[in-house]
Amino acid sequence: MKKITVLLFISLFLLTTSNIAVFTQTRKANDVLIRNATVLTAARGTLESTDILIQNGKIARIGKNLKASANAQTIDATGKFITPGIVDCHSHSMMDGSVNEFSYSVTSMVRTRDILNPKDIAIYRALAGGVTAANLLHGSANAVGGQNTTVKFKYGHPIRMGVMETIRDAFMRARDYRQSWIEYEAKVAKKDKTAVAPRRNLELEPLVEVLEGKRLVHAHGYRSDEHLNLLLLADEFGFRVATLQHALEAYKIAPEIAKRGTGASIFVDNWGYKLEAFDSIPYNAYILWKNGVNVSINSDSDERMRRLNLDAAKAMKYGGVPEEEALKMITLNPAKQLGIDKRTGSIEEEKDADLVIWNAHPFSVYAHPEMTMIEGEILFDRARDITNRAALARERETLEKMEVNRAPASGGTAPAIPREKREAHRDDADGGHKR
Amino acid sequence: MKKFNLRLFTAIFASFCFCVSAEAQTRQETFAITNAQIATVSGPVISRGTIVIRNGLIESVGGNARVPADARIIDGTSLAIYPGFIDAYTSLGLSSPTPQRSPQPGQQAQPTQAAQTNQTQPSNSNYPEGLRPEANVFEQLKAGEAQFETNRNAGFTTVLTVSRDGVFNGQSAVINLAGDSVSEMIVRTPFAEHITLTTVRGGTYPTSLMGTFSALRQMFLDAQRFQEITKMYDKNPRGLRRPEADLSLEALIPVLNREMPIVFNANSEIEIIRVLDLAREFNLRAIIAGGQEAWKVASRLKSQNVPVLLSLNYPKRTAAAAPEADAESMDVLRLRAETPKTPARLQQAGVKFAFQSGGMQNINDFLANAKKSVENGLDRNAAIRAMTLSSAEILGIDNRLGSIEAGKIANLVVTRGDVFDKSKTVTHVFVDGKLFEPKLPARPSAAGTTGGQPSALANVGGVFNITVEIPGQPLQGTLNLTQQEAILTGSFQSQLGNVPIKDGRVTAEGFNFTMTVEFGGSTYEVAVVGRVSGNQISGTMTTPQGPISFNGTKTP
Repeated sequence: MKKITVLLFISLFLLTTSNIAVFTQTRKANDVLIRNATVLTAARGTLESTDILIQNGKIARIGKNLKASANAQTIDATGKFITPGIVDCHSHSMMDGSVNEFSYSVTSMVRTRDILNPKDIAIYRALAGGVTAANLLHGSANAVGGQNTTVKFKYGHPIRMGVMETIRDAFMRARDYRQSWIEYEAKVAKKDKTAVAPRRNLELEPLVEVLEGKRLVHAHGYRSDEHLNLLLLADEFGFRVATLQHALEAYKIAPEIAKRGTGASIFVDNWGYKLEAFDSIPYNAYILWKNGVNVSINSDSDERMRRLNLDAAKAMKYGGVPEEEALKMITLNPAKQLGIDKRTGSIEEEKDADLVIWNAHPFSVYAHPEMTMIEGEILFDRARDITNRAALARERETLEKMEVNRAPASGGTAPAIPREKREAHRDDADGGHKR
Repeated sequence: MKKFNLRLFTAIFASFCFCVSAEAQTRQETFAITNAQIATVSGPVISRGTIVIRNGLIESVGGNARVPADARIIDGTSLAIYPGFIDAYTSLGLSSPTPQRSPQPGQQAQPTQAAQTNQTQPSNSNYPEGLRPEANVFEQLKAGEAQFETNRNAGFTTVLTVSRDGVFNGQSAVINLAGDSVSEMIVRTPFAEHITLTTVRGGTYPTSLMGTFSALRQMFLDAQRFQEITKMYDKNPRGLRRPEADLSLEALIPVLNREMPIVFNANSEIEIIRVLDLAREFNLRAIIAGGQEAWKVASRLKSQNVPVLLSLNYPKRTAAAAPEADAESMDVLRLRAETPKTPARLQQAGVKFAFQSGGMQNINDFLANAKKSVENGLDRNAAIRAMTLSSAEILGIDNRLGSIEAGKIANLVVTRGDVFDKSKTVTHVFVDGKLFEPKLPARPSAAGTTGGQPSALANVGGVFNITVEIPGQPLQGTLNLTQQEAILTGSFQSQLGNVPIKDGRVTAEGFNFTMTVEFGGSTYEVAVVGRVSGNQISGTMTTPQGPISFNGTKTP
């Protein structure tokens, strides 16, 4: 039994009021007025020739001929398209070290927030692809994996965050653990001097939070029989599964998923890369949507993350998901799955100004983001990026001439072989495996 | 009856030993270094003064300190005396084969994990190897002062020594670099608990960085509870189950109670932020070791009152030039450029720091890189303080070491020439009042003041085109020799590459050095002996295959 088949994987998500791990807001964003754009709201249809006024990082007004204060930055977006910032519901960006804690089958004690790196270049590249928020998950090596973190991609900001029987066993232990604390607290209430506090167990604490409805569950899996089993187990223990991740065969059990209010976070058309992915079809998104399931389209890859707009466009091609519904699959729907839709995911007044300005309709293969902002702060600006390249080249030239950066006169080690930090989908089943 | 005798014998033997060591101490020589420039560090520099060393301690220091009649006098004219240098992070005295550095992003091909012993140590801990904070270097140190000769000759008299194994590296000790028994070396033990954010080997939890954080968090929580229930039980055991003894958790109690500092190895900004968060979570007395990017977190280090044991092992490119390789990343290039500025930036921000060697290969880089930090804006006195008194303060030994004051331990380094000057020499090192005289290259008698050797050194410097008479395929090459009195440096360039010469010496007859040559996929140590006569050079190169002669001429 050396070979471990990854049957099903649950990741845990804390549901609290501050459930987006927000980087400390150190830069105060100015007011911004974006003029005369085609606005794809992902909530209230498409608005032609429309202005968006941003104040204090929020969308203050949407309308025509809006006026801004004198010191506001004005962006002429005539002929451009604006969408909400893209939300990727399945990513492993920003993580230092292995994305899997391989040792145990239940590793609910580990937290991705302990190892996030806000200077990961993948964030900047994701911004260049219009992504503003993501769900950073533990890998898929375990029956119960670690605690995820939902982040906004504020590049460079210092960070301040904030197998069925095994799963059943873990939840039973969690139930016992919860009971031991209830008994202890009862003893303390009765002023019993022999009351000894139970050992705090970081593995079981998050599972107790699941049982108490304080923590969301993202269940990683491929086959519909496994996902159905998990939904039944959740019924038994009385918790709700927030999303089925990957869920390549979810179309087979779409009504069962819809009935429980569970979401599905899927690849739009990634197929056949391993045995469990054999029954994946590109109509998955359409069938789930048709059955009333909240569907999001994710990347699971730093590379694919940069083109999620085209993945959403494919949902229109296969089955004919309507345009706005397809856009929602990469914006509002994942925001709902992550419990952050009150703040982001669509262009509506009062929401955070997490916006992308595109040169063309985002579902066109010729589209690319010209500007990406989070809470009104411009974190990617294509024009500025291009201008900066000359200065960077000059800096490189100066640095490379320094003695510390010169190759030794003789001998020396072999140059490092470039390695992709997070591989896209590849079924290594070793340290590189992360689904 | 037999047993009784044995016990008596043991008692006599023990008291004999005690007498010997006590006597050895009382018989220690008394020294007076006169007319020297004295950098007291705690006070102003004495431009011309005397230090009296008696019984391992500084008896007196000053412009007109009296020279006792029984003292051996060392004429300190044109010499400078500093407190013995302190290296605030080493693995000296530990038998771990090659202490490895923690990963340094500016250097390529670094191991990503700290060295870990391959064999499982027998232990009664409930935790896997790597998560055992109770390990203590006191038990691991090797006796014998000869092992410290290189570091002592470079002016170091005191070091913090730490194991590099595991996530918990265990408890460290401050030792003096002299003394034949471990007991004699120890200055302070244990000093601190140490952590390296690595993983545990062999598939045992934790296998990932995030697992390491969770494992540490669980252990600290367990130790908190262990302390609480032990206290509770000690107060009144009746009606309570006996708490399970746990030597690993017990070792964390002084850390949780802030009686013992905890040193985290952390270099990058994000590593430092992560460990500061962990320290704050459990209210620990943190110290950062490494600290390459500590300046980026300076305000937080200052406000959390966290000192830094700053590595002087500045990153530099080690990879050979290869046109087909990708260019190095800007992050790496910038890190190498910025790291020598860290000390000045920490000084400016008011963060306390001490210098450490950071696993550098050649201990002489310590002063060379300290000098670089002065060139990059660090105050010169602050640089000296960071290897003497500041280090003693952070290590909690400043009442006995780190400055030149009467009553402190006589750890001193005496130099000829400025301490940061490459051509300076360390003439005397005192550790616990014991004199060590580094073997100096002979100086021309004209400049000699310390009973110098006769100065009839050969004159061998120059660039020589030589032929090495390898049977059947003579090897042409260029031998570049630079002579500085008795010291010889340079390189040998040939088809086999350009290799530096090592351990080069000039004698009255000629010269000798060694070099490492790579040939046919193997590495050979070659010992070279030769002489120069006019513009002719000749000699032999001894390889494992036997001696080969060479000869050639000097290029004009």
